Amino acid sequence: MAVEQQAKAIHFVRLKLRLTRNGLRGQAWRIVLFIFGIFAGLWAALGGFALFTGAGVAGGDAGLVIVTFAGAGLTLAWLLLPLLFFGVDETIDPARFALLPVPRRTLLRGMLAAAFVSVPALATVVALLGLVLGAAVRDGAAAAVVAGVGAVLGILTCVVGSRALTSAFASMLRSRRVRDLAAILIAVLASSVAPLQLAVSSLIAHSDLDRAGQIARVLAWTPLAAPYAAYVDVAEGRLLSALVRLAIAAAAVAALVAWWWSTLESATIGTASGARSSSSASDKKAVAALFPAALRVLRPGRFSGLVAREWRYWWRDPRRRASLVSLMIAGVVLPMVMRASVRVDQSRMPLPVAVAFSALLAALVLSNQFGTDGSAYALHLLVGVPGRVELRARACALALLMAPILVLVTVAVAVLTQAQSQVLAALGVVAAGLGIAAGTSALLSVLVPYAFPESTNPFAVSGGTGGLRGLLAVVGSFAALVLLAPLLVFALITHGLVAGLVVLAAGVGWGGVGLLLGTYLAGGILDRRGPEILAAVTPRR
Amino acid sequence: MDSALVLRGLVKQFDGLTAVGGVDLDVPVGSFYGLLGPNGAGKTTTLSMAVGLLRPDAGAVAVLGHDVWSDPVAAKRLLGALPDSVRMFDRLSGSELLAYVGLLRGMDPSVVDARAAELLDVLGLSDAGRTLVVDYSAGMKKKIGLACALLHAPRLLVLDEPFEAVDPVSAALIRDILHRYVAGGGTVILSSHVMEVVERLCTHVAILAGGQIRAVGSLDEVRQGRRLEDVFVSVVGGRVATGAELSWL
Repeated sequence: MAVEQQAKAIHFVRLKLRLTRNGLRGQAWRIVLFIFGIFAGLWAALGGFALFTGAGVAGGDAGLVIVTFAGAGLTLAWLLLPLLFFGVDETIDPARFALLPVPRRTLLRGMLAAAFVSVPALATVVALLGLVLGAAVRDGAAAAVVAGVGAVLGILTCVVGSRALTSAFASMLRSRRVRDLAAILIAVLASSVAPLQLAVSSLIAHSDLDRAGQIARVLAWTPLAAPYAAYVDVAEGRLLSALVRLAIAAAAVAALVAWWWSTLESATIGTASGARSSSSASDKKAVAALFPAALRVLRPGRFSGLVAREWRYWWRDPRRRASLVSLMIAGVVLPMVMRASVRVDQSRMPLPVAVAFSALLAALVLSNQFGTDGSAYALHLLVGVPGRVELRARACALALLMAPILVLVTVAVAVLTQAQSQVLAALGVVAAGLGIAAGTSALLSVLVPYAFPESTNPFAVSGGTGGLRGLLAVVGSFAALVLLAPLLVFALITHGLVAGLVVLAAGVGWGGVGLLLGTYLAGGILDRRGPEILAAVTPRR
Repeated sequence: MDSALVLRGLVKQFDGLTAVGGVDLDVPVGSFYGLLGPNGAGKTTTLSMAVGLLRPDAGAVAVLGHDVWSDPVAAKRLLGALPDSVRMFDRLSGSELLAYVGLLRGMDPSVVDARAAELLDVLGLSDAGRTLVVDYSAGMKKKIGLACALLHAPRLLVLDEPFEAVDPVSAALIRDILHRYVAGGGTVILSSHVMEVVERLCTHVAILAGGQIRAVGSLDEVRQGRRLEDVFVSVVGGRVATGAELSWL
């Protein structure tokens, strides 16, 4: 009797499709978002296709530069974007297979096949078809074959690399001992974007093809761009170096698969979260224990209790910790890069503009504040916390965390880049940006809350909401930027100490109004829609 | 006023499926009320609507005369709840969580400190020290949840599956606490699908199946001299398997 059937990769693909379909069922906004995501993917796919085809047809040095830069950019985007912004689709969670008799080899193949069934992966496939087409048109069949092999290796690097990186990261953040190390790693990753952007933008600015060519030739020997550049060698008759490039790419894929394999192993074994310090029972009083040392000056009450709990959560919740750390890094790196690299009319980017984005980003982290708490929000509903108190306390907790950092960064960047005269105005913009963005986030968080899966992976998003996360960030930052614009313009056209003081005062006032108004409106909605928000942020099981 | 909790015509549908189809219930003050039902009967949905976590499609809920949906502040002050399907703020330690709940309830910090220490002590959670609630065992999580529900000394306790995953020693302790609470004038409604628990504890019983109340009354009225389990099986629809199936086992 053939009762047992071997699990195959196709089953995982079907599972993923089925889960995606069920996730969309009966939720109009998710369907709209999904379609939006498909269009965005289509647009990116066609753009990439055109770019790679064009590079292939153009050939020569320009072609090589475009192919290597585009390839390296694609790989870096796959590796870094999930960590920093979008999260990784955890529709199929490997831990769920722990009890099933699925061989790990099958599991790996299945997870890989399922990972390809996603809009970004399919868009990348379409874009890379352009590589093959370009090679075929200009350089003939042999080059096209090498380009095809390269494309397969390239996309494997992207998909496996992003999986391996995020799951390794997740397990790192899960264990307390290495969480500081993880923070440093994020810092390194985030700051590695900056010099790259610097280099590329200065190259573009000087239209320096020779130097770009040098960099491209180096990049083409790294796994980032090697698979994409291999066919250029064939076209120029260097078959051996083409093979070496493919071998580099293949070795990188093998290494990434091995890495992913080991993280999968720990995921299916279900490593218990690292033993927590359960040292001797604290003899501190309960209320005093809730308040972190820095907040002990507050009088214990409902508002300060909320602030204290938020503070604890910013550090103890892995998902929040991940976003807080990347936020802090971005807050430091962004103004530095903007001051150092972007030039408007031969002068440097003004300091208020350079720090405005840090302030906006800092508060927009609240735009799904109920989603990060998940169904724990039920407690507030049971107790009947007034919406305005709740939202203002959350904003206050974040401001107490981020404002000192932003002030420090602003002053430090000003001193380092000789912009002391703009400090006051920049601080005013920071205050306004924080307040306005916090108000905007409060509204977003009650109007479009969405659930995160109950997973220990801080980068996990449930099927289809990765796009939402990105879209909301865009909408929120755009709205906040529009509201901030008048002050920013005023800060740019005025100069001098008095004007600086005016901007500072106006910024504090403007931000305060934005925060109070945003939380006033959002608080009313929260009071009316509490149960609906709870339902929206409760992960569906 | 002799009802601690009144449910009138509660209806809830999910995606066109009726989870609760018109539930009426009167829980008398001072009663120990058991809400029985098989899995998927709508117990959690009913209790979630009763405590204000889930908005009913139709119907009304009143806690000691205060409507939960139109006068939530008064109703929620009198109400303590242990929901089953939601998480807690579990990245706090037990005492931090209790302090947080107390402050949210607007209680005096010194009262919170005293009650939190006593609750942790009585429930045997003091040893857990600074362990986060997320690392508690399932039984310990139930106990800290119960402590959160009891902290502000509510007049009505709504407990969803309070004995699930709790070991016998802790279960006896919880039973003892609840007994004393009812003797002191409090009212308890709890859901369960374990007959023994309900039969030993409850003064009143309602059997819920398919989103409707199938039997309701005091324990003796519902039992009518039979065992509760027999009543339950016959009311809910009974077992059809005869044991002849699964012969390959």
